[in-house]
Amino acid sequence: MRWAAVAGGVAAVVLGSAGLVRAAIPQHESTGSGAPGTISVSGAYVRAPAPPTDAAAAYFTVYNTTGQDDRLTQVVSGAGATSTLHVESGGSMVAAANGLVIPAHGSVVLSTGKGHVMIEHLFDKLTAGQTVNLELDFRTAGPIDVVAPVIALGAPAPTGTAPSSSGAHS
Amino acid sequence: MNRCRAVLLILALVVLAGCASSGTAKPKPSELNPGQGSGPYQGAGLTPAQPRPSFTLTDTAGKPFPFGTTTAGHPTLLYFGYTHCPDVCPATMADISIALKRVPAALAAKTYVVFITTDVKRDSGPVIAQWLANFTDGAKAHFVGLRGTQDQIDAAQAAAHVSLASDEGQTHSSELLLYGPDDYARVAFLQSTTLQKQIAHDLQVVAAA
Repeated sequence: MRWAAVAGGVAAVVLGSAGLVRAAIPQHESTGSGAPGTISVSGAYVRAPAPPTDAAAAYFTVYNTTGQDDRLTQVVSGAGATSTLHVESGGSMVAAANGLVIPAHGSVVLSTGKGHVMIEHLFDKLTAGQTVNLELDFRTAGPIDVVAPVIALGAPAPTGTAPSSSGAHS
Repeated sequence: MNRCRAVLLILALVVLAGCASSGTAKPKPSELNPGQGSGPYQGAGLTPAQPRPSFTLTDTAGKPFPFGTTTAGHPTLLYFGYTHCPDVCPATMADISIALKRVPAALAAKTYVVFITTDVKRDSGPVIAQWLANFTDGAKAHFVGLRGTQDQIDAAQAAAHVSLASDEGQTHSSELLLYGPDDYARVAFLQSTTLQKQIAHDLQVVAAA
């Protein structure tokens, strides 16, 4: 855990110096992903924008292994000035003004066409191989930080099963 | 009618998603809409087949582009979207681009990819051209970006039988239509994790028909 925190700090410094993460998010301690009774986040990634479009989309899966519904209230990104949660509704993408319910013993997948976090007014170019810090704020579980790799426009979603929520590194 | 088809497409998407997650190595020819004509296709079958529409819009160089006559006889992928879109639009265009690299070069060279913006205010010719350039690297196909007045874009969508975009073009159909050399669309696609494979497969089916 200590190592992970140190590594996270180093990563934040390195990324910060690259101008990627202007508002580096402190790495919180959190419980291991997938453990019973937790909210965890995995499979996070960001698709690089298609210039001149100054907007990128972040995707992830949230697991709720508690017996209570929780709510993802907002997502903050280190890569751009604004981040908006969008989910598919009736065939179109709409802003989830009241956040997103993560059902008890359930999961919510944000993927292409289903939902994403739209990161706008990017601080700098985003290209494949970089990473973006995301802070997901949950009403009950509180903030959870994830580090999302940036993938190329046409690249498939990463399929790795390693949880990307902080504190779960071993 | 449109609603019916939308429902079918959504059902199709659900079925496709199911196939994708089951880990089947080689997708079978589509059984999405039994009796609906999707037979040889991996995309969603369109019944009845839709004739290639005729409309004239403006290309990224500012010149008139008569869609019907220019693309007639060519395999053509037609998509309505907008450039200030982080999600479905660039993902779909990237999938098209990759699919075209998986088909024989001669077929790719005959194929038109036509992107029509639904954001008539923000998507100027140069913006569309720069955006399309993200997807045309090494491409043999003809990539065309079109724009027009709101009335022209509405009319083009109606002619192509896709639902009209709203909300300054940001709420739009995600349907990707494929017209064959016979000038009919018998298959359409929605965003899916297997979209690249579907397009590459069906483009060859359509071209051989």
